[in-house]
Amino acid sequence: MPRFHFDIHEDSRLIKDEDGQNFANVEGARKEAMLTGASIAREAFMAGSADQVVVDVREDEQTPCLKISIRLEVQELAGDQPRTIA
Amino acid sequence: MPSDTIRAALIQRLRVSSAIADEDVKEIEALPISVRQYPSERAVVRDGERASECCLIVDGFCARSKTIASGRRQILSLQIPGEIPDLMSLFLHVMDHDLTTLTPATLGFISHDNLRKLHRRSPRVAEMFWRDTLIDSAMFREWIVNVGQRPAPARLAHVMIELRERLRLIGRVDGDSFEMPLTQEQIGEALGITAVHANRVIKQVRQEGVVEFSRGRVTVLDEQKFQELADFDGRYLHQSPTL
Repeated sequence: MPRFHFDIHEDSRLIKDEDGQNFANVEGARKEAMLTGASIAREAFMAGSADQVVVDVREDEQTPCLKISIRLEVQELAGDQPRTIA
Repeated sequence: MPSDTIRAALIQRLRVSSAIADEDVKEIEALPISVRQYPSERAVVRDGERASECCLIVDGFCARSKTIASGRRQILSLQIPGEIPDLMSLFLHVMDHDLTTLTPATLGFISHDNLRKLHRRSPRVAEMFWRDTLIDSAMFREWIVNVGQRPAPARLAHVMIELRERLRLIGRVDGDSFEMPLTQEQIGEALGITAVHANRVIKQVRQEGVVEFSRGRVTVLDEQKFQELADFDGRYLHQSPTL
């Protein structure tokens, strides 16, 4: 079973995954990366500690085979338009 | 194994949390318990099984968990010596979750028959065990709040402090450090996050000088930060007869 590593970037901060985890295939690693990225992003966005979370997935010391990127975009809309209640 | 070693942690716990009377201690000392050794990560009783005995943890750590269809597992509680984590199986006949060892463990099995006889002989002991299962559900309520509402670092700190306060009751806290024999993956399963996220959280609390976790042991670096991060109020453990 191949061993995958998940390096996490929160804005410019990098946490390298030294240990890694075994998955049967890239598909298993992709699911893990999505779950990990989404849950780290949720924490980072709520804490206001980062606006972008990237998970790089690599097999051992190879270059990444998969990159998952999650970005927070908040748009403040101008004006005090009255709200309609449906 | 001498009988008093088998029951020591249980009796110690019942003394502190329920002020067990000496004559009731005698009842528990007389309770037949058959001791078996288990390796780590072995199922003691599985979801869907019909149990005919309850399991007293004499030594080692266990966890209760449930696995969903996709194969992901949620750890529901950590269990330590002196606890009878499947006491409810006396009344709930088919298990609705798994009980698994986390470490090599010495487990004592008490037949349902003998427990029923004890309850009829001594209603006070029955009440104490009833209270025990109620404290159990208080801990589950706290676990739901923890997993559902707290940020991941607070979630980790809360699980750690809860474990420490329970270990303290049986004299298993060594200064500022205590055992928490979980892998990163198991910590993830307890907190409802992936192993990689758990790894990140463990690094974060270390970098912030709160707590160090390595090789299944927790060392507190800053008690005040630890308490603040965990948002811990131990009332729900009801570790005194007046609580």
